Amino acid sequence: MSDDYAKAIPIPGPESLPFWEGAKNHQLMLQKCSDCAHHWFPPSTVCTGCGSRNIEWVASSGKGKVFSFVIFHKLYHKGWDGEIPYAVAIVELEEGARMLSNVIGIPVEEVKCDLSVEVVFEDATSELTLPKFKPV
Amino acid sequence: MMEPSTHLRDKYALVGAGHSRLGKVPGVSAQGLLEEAMLNALDDAGLKTQNVDGLICRGPDEIYTFHQVMGERLGIDASFSTTLTNGGASQVMGVALAAMAIDAGMASCVLVGYGRDNWSRVHANKENHMRGSGRPQQMYGMEFGPEFGYYGAIAAHGFGAQRHMHDYGTTREQFGAISVAFRNHALNNPDAVMKKPLTMENYLAGRMIVEPFGLFDCSLQTDGAGAVVVTSAERAKDLRQKPVLIKGFGTGNNISGWFNGNNMTHTGAIQSGKTAYAMAGVGPENIDYAQIYDCFTYMVLVQLEDYGFCRKGEGGEFVASGALGLNGAMPTNTSGGQLSEAHVEGMLQVVEGVRQLQGIYGPERQVPNAEIGLVSGHGGNTVCESTLILGAI
Ligand SMILES: [Zn+2]
Repeated sequence: MSDDYAKAIPIPGPESLPFWEGAKNHQLMLQKCSDCAHHWFPPSTVCTGCGSRNIEWVASSGKGKVFSFVIFHKLYHKGWDGEIPYAVAIVELEEGARMLSNVIGIPVEEVKCDLSVEVVFEDATSELTLPKFKPV
Repeated sequence: MMEPSTHLRDKYALVGAGHSRLGKVPGVSAQGLLEEAMLNALDDAGLKTQNVDGLICRGPDEIYTFHQVMGERLGIDASFSTTLTNGGASQVMGVALAAMAIDAGMASCVLVGYGRDNWSRVHANKENHMRGSGRPQQMYGMEFGPEFGYYGAIAAHGFGAQRHMHDYGTTREQFGAISVAFRNHALNNPDAVMKKPLTMENYLAGRMIVEPFGLFDCSLQTDGAGAVVVTSAERAKDLRQKPVLIKGFGTGNNISGWFNGNNMTHTGAIQSGKTAYAMAGVGPENIDYAQIYDCFTYMVLVQLEDYGFCRKGEGGEFVASGALGLNGAMPTNTSGGQLSEAHVEGMLQVVEGVRQLQGIYGPERQVPNAEIGLVSGHGGNTVCESTLILGAI
């Protein structure tokens, strides 16, 4: 945790605040439909499975698999200087929702599609916690 | 369910095509380049700005109502005019919209074009492009992307390539076959930006950018513009060029998301192609050449599958078989494409699609006996597709 954090700071939309508040408390929050039990991400005001407005926020198990990934070999933002190469992945959570994040804790050569991962929380600043994923 | 309409088949025609100078064109705006392309297209048709009553265009996306800017600069009032904002799918869609507008009685002669000054922008302002100021891949605005170091269209498309490699065993060498084939086409196109041969060794030695994509998987950074003129097939008979008929068109938009379902390996081209084939009354077996939107190599491979030129999962073998050459199973991007000619977001694919049926090329570039061609547009941030099927008269 530091105040000279050099990476991009997300600017949450109003519908996303529960996700970011949850992350600060080290909980991975997802939206769930009270009618059809569908889970989805990114946040919206309607179930993307059935169109219901009857929706709630729930905590995910944080477990999932890498659906796909890319490895950044080029530096696009100075905040990542010294961290090239790094892996950006789409993680499919057990609940079915897919989410973009980083896979950390292993060499990038070992990141594969379908790799089993679980969430870890990276406290970036006093105001921002990022959910990332490491192999199980 | 939607029933594809067939009453537009062969009713409208592309009567002129043109492009501007391509590559590094300093000192000219996107608007200026588009004027150059539009005047060239009108000259090709034997028409003047005074004959135009429809204007459909796209330029730098931050310019509000870009068609109004172009109308003012060209001195055109138009009964039908709009700016499209569907990324790389806009340009093919512009041609489809022109036919629909004429059919609805909204216009009679529509100029369609796109211009960009991306090379000049980057190089006029080099400091902005240096390390430390990447443009976020704004799939979701300013969250769920840049904070994880997710930048550029290259990464979004890279996810699709990686998953295709996982699901079907597609390889980087197969992506490389696409780059090499398009470079070979470019060597026969005097207007193409890339002039030197590219071998598989060169491809594999290209530096990694965002894996699985290396330097030669990526389209070029160029200035340039393209334009075409659309009018009725009836009126086309009296104009300068051999008309090129619009046989069919389609669109498909997997806007539930690139990350959703299997959208990144089964693209909007499936729906878009199905609609276009039905309107045209043809199938993939009738297509003599394809001009495919090639922002990255993978997008060529997956679209060739989704348009039915080979089976799903077999795109790698198909492109590696030599299929994309002038005498291959599906001559593709015969001008060199965005990987080797110039990147004008699909507009040059439309121009090349028209010229192949005008039959203006020598044997080094002309697809032999070309009668029906397919042109694709892809973009809107990965999930939007548009398709045009063109026919000789
Ligand atoms: Zn629901």
